[in-house]
Amino acid sequence: MHFKQTTSEVIILLGISVVAAFVVNYFSPVGIALTGQWNDSRGVISTRGKDEAVVPDLEIEDVTVAKQIFDKKQSLFVDARSQESYEDGHIKGAVSLPVNRFASMIKSFQKRYGRSQPIVTYCSGRTCGDSHRLAQLLFEHGFENVSVFIDGFPGWEAEGFPIE
Amino acid sequence: MILDNIWLELFSRWLLGLVFIYASYQKILFPSDFAKIIYGYDLFPLALINLMAIVLPFVELCFGLALVIGIFPRSAALILNGILLAFILALSINLIRGHEFDCGCFSSLKTSFASSTGHWIVRDIILLSLGLQVFFYGGFRKACLIRNLKPYTVAAEKRQTLSVDK
Repeated sequence: MHFKQTTSEVIILLGISVVAAFVVNYFSPVGIALTGQWNDSRGVISTRGKDEAVVPDLEIEDVTVAKQIFDKKQSLFVDARSQESYEDGHIKGAVSLPVNRFASMIKSFQKRYGRSQPIVTYCSGRTCGDSHRLAQLLFEHGFENVSVFIDGFPGWEAEGFPIE
Repeated sequence: MILDNIWLELFSRWLLGLVFIYASYQKILFPSDFAKIIYGYDLFPLALINLMAIVLPFVELCFGLALVIGIFPRSAALILNGILLAFILALSINLIRGHEFDCGCFSSLKTSFASSTGHWIVRDIILLSLGLQVFFYGGFRKACLIRNLKPYTVAAEKRQTLSVDK
């Protein structure tokens, strides 16, 4: 009898919770998809949420391709990580534009680089979406040619490519 | 016995409820960040991560609210105890195997569980002891909207008995 009563109560409360969860998630501007992209061999992990900035088409998935772009010396590598991480080590020649300080730094960035400047953003690897967020912010501010190097600084460093 | 104290039950129930409501708040505001924390545990099937990130905060919110306003408090405490046990288990597994996850990204959720796993385990054990007190408490519960489904069951049985007598 006790067990039956507890089961009924739990089912009622769980039912309300689950219905509320899916309704709110459906209408929320930060709602997420029912399944995400959690396989990092396929690219940057993502919930495929409404506020997620991950765009697979922008991704440079191969470190050697990123190195070829680097060697051409036409693209600007932009570090989306914190200033401290940047100072600890970054891709040689990269400039720091931490995504959480974007609003205060974009003006001076725009003064230094033209809209057609090819840009490659990066952060801490495939579990980090900040490079994608930075790419979207740069697009919103008029930059036309932005790619995302998804293996980020750890992937670059592991290959022994130039850092400073 | 102190564990049978009516005020202690009320204190434990409200505190546990408020902690879970507070815990759910940021997870509901930032479901993507919460999903990445679940991913970071490296214990759950990848296909279930989003569903867990959608449902779990609302389970915490609804069951926390149920404790605070007193709707089926015993059953609410049962489920929250289960959740706390699962948290303790997951944190302990990662502590033992030395698994740490840091996405290296800017996150809106400040729960950097990886760097303070021990603290979270201690906190969850304290909360679990409150939850167990609420669950096993056998006396009258103060400030409850609906203590349990029993009154309705009894009423239904009475109605049934009356109709049989007629």
